[in-house]
Amino acid sequence: MSGDHIHPRPTSFLRRYVFSTDHKVIAKQFMWMGFVWLFVGGVMAMMIRWQLAHPGVPVPLVGKLFYPRSSGAVPPDGYNTLFTMHGTIMIFLGLTPLMIGAFGNFCIPLMIGARDMIFPTLNMLSFWTLVPGALVGLFSLFVPLGAAEGGWTAYPTLSSTIGTPGTGETMWAISVFLIGASSIMGGINYITTTVRLRAPGMTWGRLPLTVWGLFFTSILNVLFLPVIGSAMILMVLDRAFGTSFFVPATIAHGGGGDPILYQHLFWIFGHPEVYILILPAWGFVGDLLSFFARKPAFGYKVTVGAMAAVTILSAVVYGHHMFTTGMTAMLGESFMLLTMIISVPGEILFFNWLHTLWRGNLRLTSSMLFAMGVIFVFGLGGLTGIYLATISTDIYLHDTYFVVGHFHLTMAASALFGTFAACYFWFPKMYGKVLSERLGKLHFWTTIIPLTIVFCTMFVSGYGGMPRRYYDHTGNPYTAELQWLNDITTVAAFVLGAAQLLFAWNVIKTVAGKRTAAQNPWEVGTLEWTVPSPPPHHNFDSIPLVVTGPHEFSNPAIRDGKDWIYQTEPLAS
Amino acid sequence: MRGGTTIETVRRPRAGLLGALPALLGLLLAPAARAQDVVHRWAPNPPASSYGERFDHLFALITMLIGVSFAIVLVLLVVPVIRDRARPGHKASFDHGSSLHDKRFTAIVSVVVFVVLDAWVLWVTMKDLREGYWNIPRPDVPDVLRVELLAQQWSWNFRTPGSDGQFGTADDIVTLNELTVPQDRPVVINESSKDVIHSLYVPDMRVKRDANPGSINELWFQPVKSGDFQILCAELCGYAHYQMQGKLHVLPQEQYDAWQTEASRIALAAWDENDAEARWAWEFKE
Repeated sequence: MSGDHIHPRPTSFLRRYVFSTDHKVIAKQFMWMGFVWLFVGGVMAMMIRWQLAHPGVPVPLVGKLFYPRSSGAVPPDGYNTLFTMHGTIMIFLGLTPLMIGAFGNFCIPLMIGARDMIFPTLNMLSFWTLVPGALVGLFSLFVPLGAAEGGWTAYPTLSSTIGTPGTGETMWAISVFLIGASSIMGGINYITTTVRLRAPGMTWGRLPLTVWGLFFTSILNVLFLPVIGSAMILMVLDRAFGTSFFVPATIAHGGGGDPILYQHLFWIFGHPEVYILILPAWGFVGDLLSFFARKPAFGYKVTVGAMAAVTILSAVVYGHHMFTTGMTAMLGESFMLLTMIISVPGEILFFNWLHTLWRGNLRLTSSMLFAMGVIFVFGLGGLTGIYLATISTDIYLHDTYFVVGHFHLTMAASALFGTFAACYFWFPKMYGKVLSERLGKLHFWTTIIPLTIVFCTMFVSGYGGMPRRYYDHTGNPYTAELQWLNDITTVAAFVLGAAQLLFAWNVIKTVAGKRTAAQNPWEVGTLEWTVPSPPPHHNFDSIPLVVTGPHEFSNPAIRDGKDWIYQTEPLAS
Repeated sequence: MRGGTTIETVRRPRAGLLGALPALLGLLLAPAARAQDVVHRWAPNPPASSYGERFDHLFALITMLIGVSFAIVLVLLVVPVIRDRARPGHKASFDHGSSLHDKRFTAIVSVVVFVVLDAWVLWVTMKDLREGYWNIPRPDVPDVLRVELLAQQWSWNFRTPGSDGQFGTADDIVTLNELTVPQDRPVVINESSKDVIHSLYVPDMRVKRDANPGSINELWFQPVKSGDFQILCAELCGYAHYQMQGKLHVLPQEQYDAWQTEASRIALAAWDENDAEARWAWEFKE
């Protein structure tokens, strides 16, 4: 490609930093947005944990600010708002912008050898659709008759006006709709960019696994976000315009709708959403394990195939969220069988990751530790999924803390660990500044230990029969006997929350510091490391010609005592 | 310890804006402080229903299977960390893992994992579902106790027919938050909801099923022990969700008969022709 495809960097502040079409700037916008909302969602988690350990006791430090009318104690409706917004914020405004918005934007063009996304304006629009989505969600906390209280799943008829009369729930639905629209725009862009803008020689077989993960995620985004979008439209119509898509005739003001219809729509989206968050993490892990074990990714094609299989299967297993809803036996058993089948590609991924580490030359950087952490937490989360996929055990465990522990380990902790691994790894390329490794390792150990305690204790309390979404477990003799487990969870959760301040400090300190990063500090061969840190506005002076795969570590054909080679360098024959 | 424990005796730390630090310390010590007041339990009570044992057995089986699997993962994670850590002169082996041999090995491992982990569990649960959970006694089973349950924010309305065996008549026994059933007889519950979705959860019976507005759901269990058992709501149903509780009383047959006679008598005496609210019963769905 010739030089006239290079556009000069815009000079006005607005075009350069606010309404930028540069994928690297948009990536940073998404990243900071994700960080801010992770903090907000994290504070909410701390308040939830405080309430569960000390029901009705004023929250220290921030309680009086948020709950002046109850002298600082979380009220029951406020508690429901907390866990509703904690889930919504962490999924849609924390992890999605970070993993897909930030690293999708940053990594895809740089790793495939493109100068930008194929639709830069759509890319900008994707971010600026997320912003009003987030603001509507934020303002929903401060409206008459109350904020959203229906849980992040917002099942009607609780999320209908009969259960939550407040404007907040309506705004919540509008917020989710806007956020979904943002994800769809991003997804279309990522798919088209990956298909159309790969540099010459960047065959599908030479794509880094990171790009594969983001590619599959984008497919799920484009296919399934429209489903939640339509469910949100129907919900808003029900709430604001008096229709009754989800309100059955037996209820006052109702007429012929079906609340179960919503559950189907929600989970047709909701189950793929789990994989939307985990597939990018799997991609990061697949690459990072190879990069830091100095060994090729074991069974690259099989890994990609397994990720593709999970992508397809994720669309046909959603019914396992509804085993207690009341579906026919045959439907339930079909969903159970399909769910079990997912364990096969899942197990293949583990097999290949562990095989990548075996007889490697492991550099235990912070990034590598978090990537290995994904194996640990996803192992725990994935395996405990078997209890919940199995109908007869799910009947007892459904809607208990067992489920809370399970999905936090799979979609929250694994996605978060993948994000941290990606942050430590790509930060030098993004900012030209390396995050402190010493703080990073401390961050890893102070995160994984309390995190394991938090969610494993939840498994125990769920097994003991503690239902989730309870304001106070001491109110009846049965769950009061499990309250001591709540105390342990809360202590560990506070340590976990405090440990994240280490990361915040590391990021702020590094961004404020000097540029010191080398072009290729990790000695890795993918295309983003062939350009300076940070990359110039147009990424590549000339579009690279790709001749080798992304994982040719320790190849005996590499000379000069190196154990790596750029994707643009040929292997000596 | 069911039924007897009161929580009011538990001392809770007070906390204000400046009291944060002592409160955090109190938080750390809370489990120890509570030890004297409340029973500590980490597992469900022993099952009290005929199919309850099935849950406990399958849970144990899955725990064993995934315990072994996770142990293997941990070993394969820890060994390279110790043995293959980067050091001068140490080299990684070069292996793409893309040979036919590798693919064959992967395929064999996946088949083994599926058969050992998934197929085994699937086989057990299908058997449990057909013989237990979903083996709902049909109309021709003689001594079934039929119950209609109408859930609402935030209580349970139970209805059992009186001596005429019909729902919606004057001698129906209607109770709030308390359900009394005989021991060793199947109990079939038809459940629905007035307002939002609720979910009947009796942990000791190992049973849970949603009560949806606009439709009728069916569940069953057969108590094998007498006693009082906790009923909880498992589906978020509003701000007092956590207070939506009930009690299941299981009585030996002769005590139940006496209770039922007395309850029917009271129901008939209290029957009010004009109370439309009290006549929410529906034709029992078999």
